[in-house]
Amino acid sequence: MSTAENAEPTTTYEQAREELADVVRRLESGGLTLEESLTLWERGEELAKLCQHWLDRARERLAAAAPADDAGRD
Amino acid sequence: MTAPSSPDAPWPVRTVARKVADWIGRLGEVWVEGQVAQLSRRGGAATVFLTLRDPAADMSVPVTCHRDVADRPGLELTEGARVVVRARPDYYVARGSFSLRATEIRAVGLGELLARIERIRQLLAAEGLFDAVRKRPLPFAPAVVGVITGRDSAAERDVLVTARRRWPAVRFEMHNCAVQGPTAAASVMEGLKRLDADPAVEVIVVARGGGSVEDLLPFSDEGLVRAIAACRTPVVTAVGHETDTTLVDHVADVRAATPTDAAHRIVPEIGEQRRLVDGLRTRARALVTGRLDQQVRWLDSVRTRPVLASPDRLLHGREEDVLALRSRARRTLVHRVEGAERDVEHARARVAALSPAATLERGYAVVQRIDGSLVRDPAEVGDDERLQVRVAGGRLPVRVDRGPAGGG
Repeated sequence: MSTAENAEPTTTYEQAREELADVVRRLESGGLTLEESLTLWERGEELAKLCQHWLDRARERLAAAAPADDAGRD
Repeated sequence: MTAPSSPDAPWPVRTVARKVADWIGRLGEVWVEGQVAQLSRRGGAATVFLTLRDPAADMSVPVTCHRDVADRPGLELTEGARVVVRARPDYYVARGSFSLRATEIRAVGLGELLARIERIRQLLAAEGLFDAVRKRPLPFAPAVVGVITGRDSAAERDVLVTARRRWPAVRFEMHNCAVQGPTAAASVMEGLKRLDADPAVEVIVVARGGGSVEDLLPFSDEGLVRAIAACRTPVVTAVGHETDTTLVDHVADVRAATPTDAAHRIVPEIGEQRRLVDGLRTRARALVTGRLDQQVRWLDSVRTRPVLASPDRLLHGREEDVLALRSRARRTLVHRVEGAERDVEHARARVAALSPAATLERGYAVVQRIDGSLVRDPAEVGDDERLQVRVAGGRLPVRVDRGPAGGG
């Protein structure tokens, strides 16, 4: 349950995103036991972190590939 | 008949010469068409020598004729001219040389020339040499361009200057050729052969400025057209003005209107390419950034959804549920206890109502035998039996006495 913290998660952004959307949908539709909803919420947090990780990485790569107009970067 | 020759009895030269001359003399008259490659008139000599060349093959034949035939009024016999010759194969025994002895020479007129070109065009078209499927695409930015033009011609300058201006890195492999006259086609073919064989050359340009229809005739030469068709390297032609169409234009992979246009076709414009690349780069970046921003917004919106943002809400409803159930349980229990109390009260009242004490109070008595059983009939009891009488005030022990007065 701690894959979000790994340096190289095996879940892709799209997979994480899709699962996260599903988790939220299930949480919002209700009808779950407390234990179920807590487990789902934890999974949702984990997936959100994973998504954030990929997006942050994408930003870094975009910044690294910035052309010369991005002042001083190669 | 002469006796067969042998090492011991060889023929003299005159015999051989006469025999060959006889045989050739029997061949008879033919009409031949060709191009005058060489023409020599020697002073006042009565015989004119010319070389008739096949425009499509590397073959030629010597022709001799009387001066009057060559100088016939209306016939302008010059090198490069297309002619139709009426001749008889002839063997000149004095020299052992073969020639066609012409008795009539006709110039092929312009209209006739164009008709001939048209026939060749149809022939080559039927062979499929001009088919669109044969056209090869030009390389995008060739490193080396082969150029076949006249030396120091305007066409050469137009191609080189324009191409260099558009794409400074381009290099040229030049082949200067004769651009008109009887040697032009062969000269261009030679250039094609050399440049096509050079693996560095990625595209070949054949360029020539405008000229008269006759000047441009070499560029409709069947041999040259076939040579272009056989090239492995793509060929761009720019011959004459835009309105002139020569057969090489049909067979070329790309026909440019002018030498300058050819330069435009063979190399891209560097500034335009830079702008294109910059534009694409900007678009790509904007797309990726936009996509990323969109995903970030999506993620933010999901993370701020109540179910994720405040998980204590998961407990909220549940705590209230518990409290409500608890109070419902309490209310239910209280209610039931009160009900039970009321029941007990009723029961007590009913017990009081049913109790015999009240009856005794009114003066009634209950008679019981010793064992406690109730006496309901005098016959049940014996004489002198001890009984108990219960009245409101208490118990009274008695004995049965059925004296005379007792009438039971």
